[in-house]
Amino acid sequence: MRFTVCVKQVPDTTLIEVDGDGHLVREGVPSILDPCSEHALETALRLKRDGDVVTVVCMGPDQASEALKTCLELGADEAYLLSDRAFAGADVHATCHTLKAFIEKTVPDTSLILCGKQASDGDTAQVPAELAQTMGRQQFCYVVGMERDGCSFTAVQDYTDETRVCRVPEGSVVSVSDCEPNRRLPSIARLMEVSGMEIVRLDRIALGLGNYSVGTKGSRTRIVRSEAIGRTRAGDFIDGSDPGKAAEFIKGLF
Amino acid sequence: MGCESCSDGSCGSNNGLPPGMLEKYRLNTDRSDGFLVWIETYVGPDGNVAVSEVCKEILCKIRSLDNGRSRIWGVVFGHTELKPLYPEIYAYGVETLYEVHDRKLSKYHPEVYAENIAQVIIRTEPAVVLFGATPKGREIAPRVAAMLDAGLTADCTDLILEDRVLSMVRPAFAGNLLATIQCTGFPQIATVRPGTFPLGEPKEDPRGTVIYWQNCGGTLKDIVSSELKARPTDDISKAKILISLGAGVKKESIPIAESIAKRIGATVSCSRKLVEKGYFPQSRQVGQSGRTVAPDIYLAFGISGAVQHLAGIGSAKRVVVVNKDPEAPIGSVADEFIVADADKVLRELDKIV
Repeated sequence: MRFTVCVKQVPDTTLIEVDGDGHLVREGVPSILDPCSEHALETALRLKRDGDVVTVVCMGPDQASEALKTCLELGADEAYLLSDRAFAGADVHATCHTLKAFIEKTVPDTSLILCGKQASDGDTAQVPAELAQTMGRQQFCYVVGMERDGCSFTAVQDYTDETRVCRVPEGSVVSVSDCEPNRRLPSIARLMEVSGMEIVRLDRIALGLGNYSVGTKGSRTRIVRSEAIGRTRAGDFIDGSDPGKAAEFIKGLF
Repeated sequence: MGCESCSDGSCGSNNGLPPGMLEKYRLNTDRSDGFLVWIETYVGPDGNVAVSEVCKEILCKIRSLDNGRSRIWGVVFGHTELKPLYPEIYAYGVETLYEVHDRKLSKYHPEVYAENIAQVIIRTEPAVVLFGATPKGREIAPRVAAMLDAGLTADCTDLILEDRVLSMVRPAFAGNLLATIQCTGFPQIATVRPGTFPLGEPKEDPRGTVIYWQNCGGTLKDIVSSELKARPTDDISKAKILISLGAGVKKESIPIAESIAKRIGATVSCSRKLVEKGYFPQSRQVGQSGRTVAPDIYLAFGISGAVQHLAGIGSAKRVVVVNKDPEAPIGSVADEFIVADADKVLRELDKIV
């Protein structure tokens, strides 16, 4: 049985800054494996039994192989990097077509496709559902827990106003919003093992995709403008060395 | 121009139409026009079905976008329990309501919902399709978009319409950036963040038509068990005054804050750190991974102000910060910054309100 996990590398958003012209400062901002992707990988690793394979795939520039390396350290068995200049600027539509091409070409026998609920940079949470429809599969979003019984799966979904437990047919797309936070720490032996493992790099030609189905050309939306949000307010400082006075001031607001 | 049988247009192509006719009657442009909205329903605490707030907000926004010139369609799923909702749906501007009439669909099944919405879109040819950015809306919108090969923008906070072309504005990168996005073709699909548009007055004497739509397929989910949870009554996204607590506040101060809140009609919210410690449920969390709030007064006690937290309070009218550290990043959004120990101020406040 094979589990495919789609992961993303994101800038560490707690550290992001905007310069005077309103552009994001990208230099020197460390990139990390998206936390939600990590939840998805963790879920896959828990479902894994002996003889199963966990495949991770990431679309991104060459440095995204760092994120894949983290996945291998955490316990994934093989890693693929979908990287091509033509993939740049892809929206949901183009991203899903690229992922679909990869899954159908390289891992068509996959039993479950797992994604993180959303990436912390774009925050759209659209890829899992659109990927499911593009591939003609069922989707299970907001999954907080999965159970395995032999070859059948059940998922617990949390829709804030409803919790439901569903049977998950083979081949479904599962988007994981959360799982228990006890993160595995890779062992030294595992780290040694990983250093010998290879990350397979696939480009547009290898996936058999045309120029007009990937990247900006394959996108159905375009960004016409982007601006930084000014976050400056008056910001009067008030001395609060006497808490009583501070409390009086707050009371005066109501 | 562009004729393949001749180079100068002398063959009289142009579909055999008189010159200028294509432009005059806009025959060579997409005819898509009007709006289609998925009407989300939920079972209220009294056991009755109700229309979700965000749908009403979207419908009010549509009326202000084009001054009521365009057609507005609605799609709703369910059975006889929907009947009492018709007047309300019409009152907010829906003219034609497609009801996918099937008892099974009173329960939510994403694949079936998406399939039917896509079919209604093909029938009605709207220029814009809008969903509320609720968990369910964000799940079916991408599916519909994929079926129709259309563009989709998630979680919009503003919509601008110019001659059927919709510009969708959404925050990205933890709210540091506002991106304006357009779709490259029709229909243009977007999900709209709840609570961003004001709720207008419903129309008097509502009129509309309902069309029963035959459920046209899609896979039903195999649901083992399902449990409805009560919506949190103390919804922090609607509170007028929020007392928000962060890691700089001791655990003992939480009941104090709760009791102050009760007396002044405020609600207590918190930062992510306190949810992680297990002091608050996630429904009380403000920020990117929690809720976006828009209170009149936001009182931040002991919150340092990570970018993700600030993303959630961008719409607050007045931000008052109580923090020991005058360098805390939350100062960048503060209207008043009280440099003080949050616990002490809370205790004093408890005495005087």
